[in-house]
Amino acid sequence: MEFAPICVYLVISLLLSLILIGVSFLFASSSNSAYPEKLSAYECGFDPFDDARSRFDIRFYLVSILFIIFDLEVTFSFPWAVSLNKIGLFGFWSMIVFLLILTIGFLYEWKKGALDWE
Amino acid sequence: MILFSVFSSIALVSSVMVIRAKNPVHSVLFFILVFFNTSGLLVLLGLDFFAMIFLVVYVGAIAVLFLFVVMMLNIKIAEIHENVLRYLPVGGIIGVIFLLEIFFIVDNDYIPILPTKLSTTYLTYTVYAEKIQSWTNLETLGNLLYTTYFVLFLVSSLILLVAMIGAIVLTMHKTTQVKRQDVFRQNAIDFKNTIKKIRDI
Repeated sequence: MEFAPICVYLVISLLLSLILIGVSFLFASSSNSAYPEKLSAYECGFDPFDDARSRFDIRFYLVSILFIIFDLEVTFSFPWAVSLNKIGLFGFWSMIVFLLILTIGFLYEWKKGALDWE
Repeated sequence: MILFSVFSSIALVSSVMVIRAKNPVHSVLFFILVFFNTSGLLVLLGLDFFAMIFLVVYVGAIAVLFLFVVMMLNIKIAEIHENVLRYLPVGGIIGVIFLLEIFFIVDNDYIPILPTKLSTTYLTYTVYAEKIQSWTNLETLGNLLYTTYFVLFLVSSLILLVAMIGAIVLTMHKTTQVKRQDVFRQNAIDFKNTIKKIRDI
C-alpha cells in the first residue's frame, strides 16, 4: 500500500504530540508553584486592558479569498501537466485561455491595489 | 474496513461536536477534523488526488476563511447561552429530508435491518475490471477536463474571475492619507543634488 508512509507519519506525529503534552503533566510540580498570581493573566505587568478576541481588518479576509482563487488555479493545472501529452493542442490552448481569464482578474486586483498593504 | 470505521466514526463524532461546541473557534477546529477524516475516506475509495485537493483547498483555505469569519463576528463566549431547542423544528425537518434522500439513494442491500432483494443463486464470476489497465485519477481527470468538458472548465474560470472581482469590490476601501514608499523614486534620487553646500565656513 502506497499510503503506508503517510500512516507512519500520522502515527509518529500523534505520538509526539501526546508525549509533549503528557510529559508536562508528569513532571510539572503543580503543588508548590501554582500560586494564584502565577496563574493570572498578565500583559507586560499590567492587567489585561481588553479582550483578545477583537475585530480586525477585513483586508486579511481579502488576502485569504485571493489565495483560495489562485490555489484553485494551481489545482487545475496539476492534471493538465500530467496528461499534456495525451490531450493535444486543444487541451493546451484551453488551459491557456483559462489562465488568460484569471490573468485578467490578477491584473485587475493589481491595478486596484488589492495586493498593497498600507 | 477497520480504517473505514475509524475515519467515518471520528468524522461523525467531530461533526456532532461542530454543532455542540460552545466556543466557535473550537467548532471550526472540529470542522477541520471532519475534513481530515473525509479525505481519509476519499483515499480509501481510491480517489487519492481528490483527497489531497480536499486537504489543500478545504483545510488550507476554506477553514482559514471560516476562522476569519468567526473572529470577525466578535462573539464573546459568555454570550452564547441561546436556547438550543429554538432551531429544532427547522433542523429536524431538514434532517428528516436528508435521511429520506439517503434511503432513496442507497440500495436496501446495504442496510442490514431492511429486507434484501438479493437473489440466492451463487454464480462464479470473473471481475473484468481488475484485468483492464487502469489510469490514475489524475490522468483520467486531465484527459476529460481539458478537451471534452472544456466549456465547463472555462465557465469555472469565469466563476473564479467573478469571485475575485467581487471580493475586491466588496472589501477594498482606499484610504488616501496613507504615506507610501515609492521604491523607484527612492532609488532614482541623484545623491549629488540632495546635499547642497549653501555657504562657505
